[in-house]
Amino acid sequence: MHIDNHGDVIAACRFCFMCRHLDPVGNVTFREADTPRGRALILDRVRMAQERLANPDFIDTMYRSALSGANRQHCVSHYDETGLVLAARRDIVAAGLAPEPVKALAHELVRATFAIEGRGSSLYFGDHPRLYPECATLSGGDPGVALEALGFAGEAAEVLGRLRGVIAASGSGTLVVGEPSSYVFLKKRLGGIAVVHCSEYLLSTAPEAGPARRAVYLESDFLRNYADGMDAPRRLLRRHGYELAPFGTNAEESHAVGEGAVVFDALQPELCKRLCRRIRELADNPAADLFITPSRHAKAALRKYHPEMRVVSLEEAVTQERSHK
Amino acid sequence: MITANSYMHEMVRSELSWALGDDHVQTGDSDKLGHSIDYYWVPEVWHDRGRTLPAPDFVVYPGSAAEVSEVIKIANTHGIPVIPWGGGSGSQGGALPVYGGIVMDMKRMNRLLAIDPVSMTATAEAGINTQHLEWAVEKVGYSTMHFPASIACATLGGFIANRGTGVLSTKYGKIEDMVMTLEVVTPTGEIINTLPVPRHASGPDLAQLFLGSEGTLGVVTKATIKIHPVPESRRFHAFLFRNMHDAMGAGAKIMTTRLRPCVIRLYDEPETARLIKRVLGIDRCGAYLVFGFDGPAASVDLEMGQACAICRQAEPEDLGPDMGQAWWDHRYKFFYPPYMFHLPQAFGTLDTVATFANIEKVYWAMKNVVGEKFPQAAFIGHFSHWYEWGCMLYARFIIEDPPRDPHEAVALYNRIWDTAIRAAIREGGVINEHHGVGLKLGRMMKDLYGPAFRVLEDIKGALDPNNIMNPGKMGFRAKGS
Ligand SMILES: Cc1cc2nc3c(=O)[nH]c(=O)nc-3n(C[C@H](O)[C@H](O)[C@H](O)COP(=O)(O)OP(=O)(O)OC[C@H]3O[C@@H](n4cnc5c(N)ncnc54)[C@H](O)[C@@H]3O)c2cc1C
Ligand code: SF4
Repeated sequence: MHIDNHGDVIAACRFCFMCRHLDPVGNVTFREADTPRGRALILDRVRMAQERLANPDFIDTMYRSALSGANRQHCVSHYDETGLVLAARRDIVAAGLAPEPVKALAHELVRATFAIEGRGSSLYFGDHPRLYPECATLSGGDPGVALEALGFAGEAAEVLGRLRGVIAASGSGTLVVGEPSSYVFLKKRLGGIAVVHCSEYLLSTAPEAGPARRAVYLESDFLRNYADGMDAPRRLLRRHGYELAPFGTNAEESHAVGEGAVVFDALQPELCKRLCRRIRELADNPAADLFITPSRHAKAALRKYHPEMRVVSLEEAVTQERSHK
Repeated sequence: MITANSYMHEMVRSELSWALGDDHVQTGDSDKLGHSIDYYWVPEVWHDRGRTLPAPDFVVYPGSAAEVSEVIKIANTHGIPVIPWGGGSGSQGGALPVYGGIVMDMKRMNRLLAIDPVSMTATAEAGINTQHLEWAVEKVGYSTMHFPASIACATLGGFIANRGTGVLSTKYGKIEDMVMTLEVVTPTGEIINTLPVPRHASGPDLAQLFLGSEGTLGVVTKATIKIHPVPESRRFHAFLFRNMHDAMGAGAKIMTTRLRPCVIRLYDEPETARLIKRVLGIDRCGAYLVFGFDGPAASVDLEMGQACAICRQAEPEDLGPDMGQAWWDHRYKFFYPPYMFHLPQAFGTLDTVATFANIEKVYWAMKNVVGEKFPQAAFIGHFSHWYEWGCMLYARFIIEDPPRDPHEAVALYNRIWDTAIRAAIREGGVINEHHGVGLKLGRMMKDLYGPAFRVLEDIKGALDPNNIMNPGKMGFRAKGS
């Protein structure tokens, strides 16, 4: 089983309480099962007797995790609890035990196709091609990261292979990626092309501007946990005249409402709604503030469940900067 | 225990769901597993050996004192145990559902309700995670000054229930010194409040009755605690003494000259060699003593100078402020894997407290008896929480390779506890200083209290006639006995 490769994590987390305060789902369901300890205990039981993997309650718990990575980040030894849950999901899929909604979602994601429009020495993969006039635009669905998060690693590789073919045919040397989850995934997996996050790219052409407008930055799980807390988005926003106020009471919790699980709202709408409610409750000024997030998922979820909050993506903030002034 | 396939299970579940809503009554295997193991070594080893653990029949998540009361009334009707659960980080098995029943997980009651900046108090629901509480209080410019190593694991109510303590207790007190007033739901379901202030001459202090009652006398649902300004300065200093006795003399003198450090911590020679070496990299023999002062910078400087002068009289190696600060910076690191002791090791924290006149006798009595009777066990200790009159001993035993058979392992484990704690009691120590009694140490309560234990039993009997609140803990009656 894939979880066997994470025996060190099971052994460390199963009796450890030290990061439970950071589990986004645990913080809204309050369930012991929704903490790294709770999940590791379950997987320890599964490790002892493989047939326990079929327990629907255990499966449901694995798919409730928001995979935020905040726990791993906090952990003194950075035990990869997210990796453990991903391994469990792979085992669930491999055993043919994936719940129907998970299978349906995967079925849809696996059909992703990719195409390139326009010309340019670099490619842009995201929602705001007009910000990148010198880039050709790569369009298409999820590059595989969502499939991987659901436990469909083989299918994720298949989609990535298709994407790789399209990119290779373009002959481009740089791929600019808007969505943090895709950025981290492609940077790690693609090879043969420089993968940069949109904020890094835009920073090179951004104007120098003094702070003018208050905004609250909601950090991305992917950029914080898998891209060394990349500072480029913040620097970019400052250059565009935003004065960034800290969010909530601390910088350790995930404020990305399930971004780590990529398709969290599609799979767990009720939980996603609760994560959004918590963000609203933690916000100083939910009605008045402008919230900026690099994550398409976080933006969509917050707008869906709290339309009264003004939430824009990083690239939108850059585009709309003038209209905000 | 109500078996899951009995129709009585559904009867009770229907009542609980009606009171709390379906979402807040869980009966799935994931929740049952999570609530069948706390931070006590015995359920851990039981799990590790693949054995079945006592599990709750229901896990409920009340959202208010009124809902807590509803659940308790249902439990009284059916004679089902109610076991309050905070963060499950207690090390004494206090939150374990040993007879099944209803585990009442308090974490949904997690709101900071009010801050009174004039009196410097904060009022919160008891299920709030203490790190979340601290963050919320810090956001408005104050601090609870409650910094236990389990700050991120435990709840306010859990600390109140166990008379817990934080690393700055020497100045800011244990939780029982921090609490102003409590809201409690009694074992028969009444919602009561203790007096609004902790100092009075209006009868015995009810708040102190519930502090340390470990869920046996009711459920704490709300508390008002003191909060503090963030100090202008906080400084640390460390020394390496030739031996623990010299260091103890210096620490006691700091306290008896009535300086007010926020923290003093003294590690015996084996723990200095084992943990301090590993975490701080100090690779020399001796006893590591660290202390800190906080407050206005001028008074910190003055008191720090005097404390250092006291220490220097014994001619220790001066490790300076950096090695003190490093200890503070890494103070929680000791508790993360792989630094913390873990299975397959058997380990236990034999914490106790005694006067300065007795504390070294307690230390040696425990150490000698463990050394003589259990040569397979290592014994290490540090002295964590200091008072004007004495200090707390945080002793630990560690067995690298306990028996595989869980029955044998637990029997050995219990023998060490019985022997060491009884030795401590004989020398003027107590069963425990800040982790509580729980399931682990209940059998020794009669030894500790003597005839006075009857008073506690009578209080329990009067408050909880159906014995539903956390039966079998703290040495009180088991369910049905
Ligand atoms: C890594 C680690 C480090 C630790 N360090 C410290 C430390 O520095 N200082 C310290 O004091 N302790 C420490 N502990 C022990 C533990 O955190 C404390 O005992 C704490 O008080 C337990 O709180 P909890 O919310 O987790 O309670 P639980 O473990 O859930 O419950 C403990 C007891 O309290 C009862 N209870 C819980 N909530 C309520 C309530 N609202 N009303 C009535 N009864 C209730 C339970 O029934 C049980 O008897 C540590 C534990 C860990 C895991
Ligand atoms: S990730 Fe680290 S801190 Fe969190 S439960 Fe696991 S070992 Fe403990």
